[in-house]
Amino acid sequence: MDEIVSVEAVTRRFPMNDDQTHNLVSALSDANLRVMAGEFLAIAGPSGSGKTTLLNLIGCIDEPTTGRILIEGVDTSKLSPGRTSTLRREKIGFVFQTFNLIPVFTALENVEYPLLVQGVGARERGKRAAAALESVGLASRAGERPDLLSGGERQRVAVARAIVHRPALVLADEPTANLDTHNATQLIDLMRDLNRSLGLTFIFSTHDQRLLEHTPRIVRLCDGQVVSDSGDGGNNG
Amino acid sequence: MGKFLLLAFRNVFRNRRRTVMTLLMVGCGVAGLLMVGGFFAFMFQGLRESTIHNGLGHIQIFTAEHFNRDEVHVLDTGIDDWRKVAATVQTVNHVRGVAPRIEFYGMLSNGVKSSVFMGSAVDPDAERNMGFSPLLAAGRDLNRHSSGDAEALIGTGVARSMSVKVGDGLTILAVTADGALNGIDVQIVGIVNSGFKDMDDRYLRIALPAAQRLLQSSRVTNLVVGLDATENTDKVAASIVPRMSDLSQPMVVRKWIDLAAYYKQVRTLFGGIFVFLGVIVFVMVLMASVNTLLMTMFERTREIGTMLAMGTPRAWIVALFMVEATVTGMLAAVAGVVGGNLLGVLLNASGLHLPPPPGTTVEMHFRVLHVASLMIGSSLLVIVSLALASIVPAIRASRLQIAEALAHV
Repeated sequence: MDEIVSVEAVTRRFPMNDDQTHNLVSALSDANLRVMAGEFLAIAGPSGSGKTTLLNLIGCIDEPTTGRILIEGVDTSKLSPGRTSTLRREKIGFVFQTFNLIPVFTALENVEYPLLVQGVGARERGKRAAAALESVGLASRAGERPDLLSGGERQRVAVARAIVHRPALVLADEPTANLDTHNATQLIDLMRDLNRSLGLTFIFSTHDQRLLEHTPRIVRLCDGQVVSDSGDGGNNG
Repeated sequence: MGKFLLLAFRNVFRNRRRTVMTLLMVGCGVAGLLMVGGFFAFMFQGLRESTIHNGLGHIQIFTAEHFNRDEVHVLDTGIDDWRKVAATVQTVNHVRGVAPRIEFYGMLSNGVKSSVFMGSAVDPDAERNMGFSPLLAAGRDLNRHSSGDAEALIGTGVARSMSVKVGDGLTILAVTADGALNGIDVQIVGIVNSGFKDMDDRYLRIALPAAQRLLQSSRVTNLVVGLDATENTDKVAASIVPRMSDLSQPMVVRKWIDLAAYYKQVRTLFGGIFVFLGVIVFVMVLMASVNTLLMTMFERTREIGTMLAMGTPRAWIVALFMVEATVTGMLAAVAGVVGGNLLGVLLNASGLHLPPPPGTTVEMHFRVLHVASLMIGSSLLVIVSLALASIVPAIRASRLQIAEALAHV
């Protein structure tokens, strides 16, 4: 199994207020993590433990203060902003806590968006987006705008959007935080099914203990430090 | 790309109330420019036609000498065989008529008072045939075949200063072509109010035979050519020039625009005012739109962060904002053009009048012309203004830190 993510001695500090040099607060300290292709991994921990920071760093939307992160063997700290953007576009899918769908697009158009950015032709885009919506059970809601969808449906559209371009890695930051238990469980089951059927690697953050029961590998964070890793870098899928 | 444009188009209508306010604001700017520009165009057109029909004509023909040297005596540089020249010009297409003119000056006297005048001698029938008639405040126009004393039209200022009225007699004194002093008696048949005080204070018009008798010359100063439409001036002037080459006296053809100094001054002045108004509208649209677009950017921070996270090139974000602003500008331009034209129709139907402009004594009609070039220009102005206004918000949006943008509440 190929290693897809390698987090090596990563620290992330943020300046307090506008002071860029002094009074730094550490959100993540000396974190190490290895994720193999096809894994289904949860990053757990209480609020403020550094889950979002770690996901942002793995997703290349933030840069570590020290240490380095490799995606499929590529050191992301050495990439230009343009190459980083390309890496995100091609290799990573994102699911956000607040869904973050484009409100003026329909469900289908939202799912098409990553393909649009990749320059995929309209017909191919439509076909693949429809298939992705089908895979999350929302083919019948393709023409609806996000404001007409329930929270669970919106998050499933977000999942379809994250997987439509077959990324190497799907990152989901607290994907169930705004969902009730029923929808949350359904979403985790859906992600798990996609992980199994398509071989997609999923890394998601949560502090919901119930969801962790469905998760084969759990990395626990506390005060910015990795305190436990149930999988220890192996594939527990 | 179509989908991207669709996104921009839908974003324009995302906050309808704000979009409507922006469209109203920018549309009012366009409508205002159309109102002012349309009124100026009407004024220019009116001034052009009145300048032409008050005697300037569409084209004038002089001897080349007229512009090369000063006259020692009156009609020194006049046209000798003007009937032949007139007959040549008369055959050109679109020519409605050709009228000879003598420009001269001298003294007027009624035995009690004297006054200087700037006179013109005309062929009344030829002038009438071309639609050139003086603006009479009293009496009638000249009659070429009248018996007895020669007839004269004088300006309202002359009549006032000399205390004369229609039916009274005057003596005109002028220097002849030979340099001698000569005089003729005339009877006032009409009083002219041209609308320009300076002109009315010196105005005298008599028939051509009387002037030739006074000045002791068969020459004329120039020939005035009237056309069927002002738009044909260039074409006709170009046709006349080669026909003048066969004549014994070298001739010069001048178009009305070359001779209408006052018209050109007015046009330059009001053109400057219009440009100034355009700049004000441009700045207003720019300032107000920058504020609105920055607000839009702020509201969409998380969405922009999401798009950037998904690998959207930053240039696309810039383009998105600029396209949205341009679409808004185009819609505002359409709204402004439609609104401005409707307002123009309403104002034209209202029969509004304006007080007499400075230096004139006749009140003005208020009319707005629907000028296509003005609509295109005003529309382009606001579209470009909005596109420029979007640059700062667009660049700021494209430079957002993704992690911070995603955490934006």
